[in-house]
Amino acid sequence: MGIRFEDVTVAYGRTTVLDSFDLTVEPGEVMALLGPSGSGKTTALRAVAGFVTPARGRVWIDGRDVTKLPPYQRGIGMVVQSYALFPHMRVDKNVGFGLRAQGVPRAETAERVEQALALTGMGEFARRYPRELSGGQQQRVAIARALAVRPQVLLLDEPLSALDARLRSGMLAELARLHRELPDVSMLYVTHDQIEALTLADRIAVMDRARLRDVGTPQELYRRPRTEFTASFVGNANLLPVTVGRDGGVRFAEHDLQAPTGDAAPGAEATLCVRPHAVGLGDGPNPLPGTVTGIQWRGATHRLLVETAGHRLMADVGELRDPPAPGDTVTVHFAPDDAVLLPAGTGGDDRDG
Amino acid sequence: MAEARPWAPRLLWAGVPVALLAAGFLYPLVLLVWQSVSPDTGGHSFAVYQDVFGSEVFRRALGNTVWIAAASTAGCLVLGFVLALVIAFVPFPGARAVARFVDVFLSFPSFLITLALVFVYGSAGMANGLWTDVTGAAEGPFAFLTTPWGVILAEVTYFTPFVMRPLLAAFGQLDPAQIEAASSLGARAPRIVRQVILPDALPALAAGGSLVLVMCLNEFGIVLFTGAKGVTTLPMLVYTKAILESDYPAACVVATVNVAVSLTLYGIYRAVSRRAGA
Amino acid sequence: MLVHSRGGRRAVWALFALLFLPLFALPLLVLVAASFAGHWSGALPSGPTLDHYDAAVRGESLRALTASLATAAAASALALTAGTWAALSAHALGRRARRVMDLLFMLPVAVPSVVAGLALLVAFSKPPVLLNGTRWIVILAHTVLVTAFAHQSVTAALGRLDPAYEQAAASLGARPWYVLWRVRLPLLLPSLGAAAGLCFALSMGELSATMMLYPPDWLPLPVLVFGATDRGSPFTGSALAVVLMGTTLLVLLALSRIRTKASYR
Repeated sequence: MGIRFEDVTVAYGRTTVLDSFDLTVEPGEVMALLGPSGSGKTTALRAVAGFVTPARGRVWIDGRDVTKLPPYQRGIGMVVQSYALFPHMRVDKNVGFGLRAQGVPRAETAERVEQALALTGMGEFARRYPRELSGGQQQRVAIARALAVRPQVLLLDEPLSALDARLRSGMLAELARLHRELPDVSMLYVTHDQIEALTLADRIAVMDRARLRDVGTPQELYRRPRTEFTASFVGNANLLPVTVGRDGGVRFAEHDLQAPTGDAAPGAEATLCVRPHAVGLGDGPNPLPGTVTGIQWRGATHRLLVETAGHRLMADVGELRDPPAPGDTVTVHFAPDDAVLLPAGTGGDDRDG
Repeated sequence: MAEARPWAPRLLWAGVPVALLAAGFLYPLVLLVWQSVSPDTGGHSFAVYQDVFGSEVFRRALGNTVWIAAASTAGCLVLGFVLALVIAFVPFPGARAVARFVDVFLSFPSFLITLALVFVYGSAGMANGLWTDVTGAAEGPFAFLTTPWGVILAEVTYFTPFVMRPLLAAFGQLDPAQIEAASSLGARAPRIVRQVILPDALPALAAGGSLVLVMCLNEFGIVLFTGAKGVTTLPMLVYTKAILESDYPAACVVATVNVAVSLTLYGIYRAVSRRAGA
Repeated sequence: MLVHSRGGRRAVWALFALLFLPLFALPLLVLVAASFAGHWSGALPSGPTLDHYDAAVRGESLRALTASLATAAAASALALTAGTWAALSAHALGRRARRVMDLLFMLPVAVPSVVAGLALLVAFSKPPVLLNGTRWIVILAHTVLVTAFAHQSVTAALGRLDPAYEQAAASLGARPWYVLWRVRLPLLLPSLGAAAGLCFALSMGELSATMMLYPPDWLPLPVLVFGATDRGSPFTGSALAVVLMGTTLLVLLALSRIRTKASYR
């Protein structure tokens, strides 16, 4: 088993920054901790590393209870946002640091440093100092350093947020490749960027205000979110307040809509989640008349903002030859299968959907 | 940050240097205070305190110490503020070299200033020499070196850099846009200094000033090199009593009073500089 | 820029020069001039000579210079060790304990050095520890006085050190000692160098406590400078003072070269 959190609670003074956190990361799995800042995701990672002490609960790594162990006995690799490469050591010394610290002989260290640098494509920079490298190169060295100790788990704390957008997408592909080449290493990947999480993770744990809100594969969370918070944080979402009808449909304002209601009780308040790209322009199933309030051209698509029954709907439609103008009356529609019914009141209490 | 380590060994590690400090400084200091209430005649009493407090020399020394320190500090504050202001806001070529020079200045001992001032303002020094050369008079007018004013001049010279350093640091953090905004609104330099720069620099000024006040109270080298019988301060009196007169009980009493005065002011300095975030 | 007109700036600079040069530059220049002068009775020194330096680098003066250098080196090394140790161990403690330690180690700054000297005299003039009359009491006094500054600089440097480095090291399996030796101390090296320079300079110029404590066979240079001026030979005193300043500057320069080498930013 990779990493397991068991009812982990961390508090600073009176502020609880991680509340009864339960999560299991399988061996070889990439788990993204996704959430806004202050959601407790970094605290969860630091609890695995041993830099924060839980007030309650246990942390397991590889079947071993490490809750009381100091960081240096935990057998982890870690990459942080600032990389924290030792500025007074050359790249090869940086990468070999963990091995030397653990008493690995010089010759073996050299060999493994070479392997780790080769794995991250940094072999030719072994004799450079960190300050002589670009941000992306420093990032690779930091990953090589963490991997050189052959950790069972790799902890990545916002590793890409110091890079510019182009480098970031390149590094994402690199990380995905590393994951394929190291199938036994579990990765815990902290990020506030949904694209990173959706691209890289086998599963995503969505966090908000010190609590775990949702766990699932990217597809599950995107297609079948369980809470309003997940729906709005993983991808964009139209969230419509509805009442569950008697006949397998819902009522939204004046309109009866077809949507899977599952076992929701008739008459109950609920939220209907429809992704913007599932909303089409013109007549179709579940038609909703409305007024265009805004239109944004995004290259391949147009985003229409349509006001219907006092709610604003986003619709991402393929580029239009002849787009409507603000103020025009239009009809939008969506297929019943593209809608998900969520229990009401599962968003952030003080957050607008 | 809470870490998964027990605190007992950490306390033990901290104990070693504290024990060394206690042996080399705290214990002697306590012993000194103890000596001050243990006269040579045996037993414990405040008799020596009465003698010392009653003596004219002590009262003059206490008065001298306080007023010289206060005057020097005031001088350092004004001079340091003006000089730092020019270096920071009206920079000239070589301003950075001047700032470096100030740093080097701090690494020299204080008594060198007095030694140098003897050549400048002494009875046969530069200033008086110039005067007699120009006017033909037999003697120059500068004879203040062996008065408290000589000590104050030396202390202002030596301690002004201690005010300039925190000020320059504070000025470095002031957003230049603030000054540009103020001057674009039509404010002239004196007004900007008064309403923008001074309020911002007050904490640094207070911290630097109180540090200098403590150091002036404790200054010994400058007074010793002045060599004037008329200028006795508390540290000077400690030295005189202990080394020249071998009157240790009296020296301990003066020392205790000196420590009390300095520690009180130092406490104020710590409080002020903590509020200043220094 | 605060003053916009060219004339205004010139006036401000003139004022600056008028204050700065006589107060700060003149004393040092005068000392150097006096150290080469045979006489000084008038506006300018006269009778240029090297005699004072001749006297300043032999016999008693040379012994004093050696005593000062040895005292400063020993006191700085001890103070740096104790101060760094104290700062590191205080850093690992809780906030309140840390504050108490900072206060304790700053006390020697607040207490007049003369009083610190007297206290050592009182404490170590009798058995069991009889140090009075030996050079060790001078070295002890200097150590105590400069430890405060070493502690203060290292504490400030520790506060600026990014904890991410030691955490990265710990996550890679390095024990605290290894982290200290391989990561924290190397990263602190520039600040330690600066602290060493400060301690050395302070010890070289220490006069107050030394005047209370020095034994006849261990006269540091400042005591000799005072002796010379007190005897009425200020020119010899100036030469000794210039030697004192020059030596201090040389050591500071050497230390700052090491510091630049150790600085990786």
